[in-house]
Amino acid sequence: MARKADIVLEVKNLVKKFDDFVAVDDISFTLGEGQVLGLLGPNGAGKSTTIFCILGLIEKNSGEVKIFGKDFASNRSEILTSVNYASNESQLPWNLTVFENLLVFAHLYTINDVKKRIMELLDVFEISNLRKNMVRDLSSGQRARLSLVKAFLNRPKLLLLDEPMASMDPDVVDKGITLIKNLQKEEKMSILYTSHNMWEIEEIANDIIFINHGKIVAKGSPIDLTKKVLKGGAREPNLREVFIHISRQL
Amino acid sequence: MNPRRIYALVLRHYFLSIHQLERFFDAFLYPALILLLWGFLSSYIGNIKSSGLIGFLLGGLILWVIFERVNTDLGLSFMYDVWERNIINVLSSPLTFVEFIAGLVLVGLSKIVFSFILMAVMAAVFYNFQVTTLGFSLVLFAINLIIFAWSFGIFNLALIFRFGHSIGPITWILPFLLQPFSAVFYPISILPSFWQNIAHLLPIAYVFEGMRTLLTLGIFDYNQFLISLALNIVYLGLAIGFFYITLNSVKKSGRLVKLI
Repeated sequence: MARKADIVLEVKNLVKKFDDFVAVDDISFTLGEGQVLGLLGPNGAGKSTTIFCILGLIEKNSGEVKIFGKDFASNRSEILTSVNYASNESQLPWNLTVFENLLVFAHLYTINDVKKRIMELLDVFEISNLRKNMVRDLSSGQRARLSLVKAFLNRPKLLLLDEPMASMDPDVVDKGITLIKNLQKEEKMSILYTSHNMWEIEEIANDIIFINHGKIVAKGSPIDLTKKVLKGGAREPNLREVFIHISRQL
Repeated sequence: MNPRRIYALVLRHYFLSIHQLERFFDAFLYPALILLLWGFLSSYIGNIKSSGLIGFLLGGLILWVIFERVNTDLGLSFMYDVWERNIINVLSSPLTFVEFIAGLVLVGLSKIVFSFILMAVMAAVFYNFQVTTLGFSLVLFAINLIIFAWSFGIFNLALIFRFGHSIGPITWILPFLLQPFSAVFYPISILPSFWQNIAHLLPIAYVFEGMRTLLTLGIFDYNQFLISLALNIVYLGLAIGFFYITLNSVKKSGRLVKLI
């Protein structure tokens, strides 16, 4: 549990209903500075809805979302200059080059040293050779890396990654995870990360929240969760088994 | 409001325009073609009726294109973000909705300047109609046309938020639904009385009436200008109100994130 002063994101008793369907059912959690929190759950469990509630793109029914200790709704623009988001569902405009896209977002996030920052990140993600290419000409793996470059542009203190590498091949995922981990440590950012790839979560997350039907059903570190749920003397995290066990039980 | 974020949107549309030829054609080819079409028609009718008719038709057309382009561009610029699945990236950035609309408005304005210059030159060269003879009144006409185009465009955006991207083409259709009542090419007085009532509720109908008064009598009717401006203020307020109500509603229903 993070100390109060270190809390970057605080979600308290969050509830979101769509008519009679309860998508997020009274969930509470905190994300500390430099922490990577994995948000796991089957399809339709409420992971993306939670992220959209945090970003203010879906209005919650009740509960509280505080980012950097401030109420999100009344400090939206100020907070979002230090937050970023990437998802495999969102893409950057296909008819702009890699560099042009990043330039636009660099201005949206009002970052300093625009060109230097873009080139630095393109180098880190090993796509600087593609900076003049149109996004439509990139492979899906290259586009995923470009989305991550956009997500890191403003040196976010809080990064929300919603299945950023879904449907990528293992090699792309492996490289992507390594790059995210390195940058996360270097820039001490806090990350809320959702994925259906358990290996990805085991690699990157310090702690995990497992949600199903909008409720938190288990939480802990990957190894603690494995021991708790599988009730054995596991020595290595096995989130795949944990996932299957919890999903089938509920 | 942060000017740099508005600049970011303008920059994005500039990049899109230089990479997508249809955006270039959108600003130039459509106004050029429609002016040619109506120019020839006006010349033909002008020869058999009166020479003043050319001014009425071409003047009406040029002013109509200002309204129609500004309105369409507002919706279209937004739809590009939806179609390219970029909208969540934009909405999750620090950009505020006021900045978002301001960016789209600036893009639309810059394009209409190019379209207007092209049409003015073509009308002068091919049909000997100098739209600049309207003088400073042209600026006053444009103010009312553009404000109404923004109101209508913001209303369109709210409809897209509410009903999703499948309703996007309405962006092109809606302005033309107003055209018969707007007295673009004929005076309000020739409309049936019920339609005249509708026309009197439209700020742009006063603009076209004002243009004909100016071309015929050489007088700028400030009364019509002020009625049009007053209606515009009301509609702009209503459109912004409707937009915010719809935005809050789609945030509650989750439709906003389903736009992609």
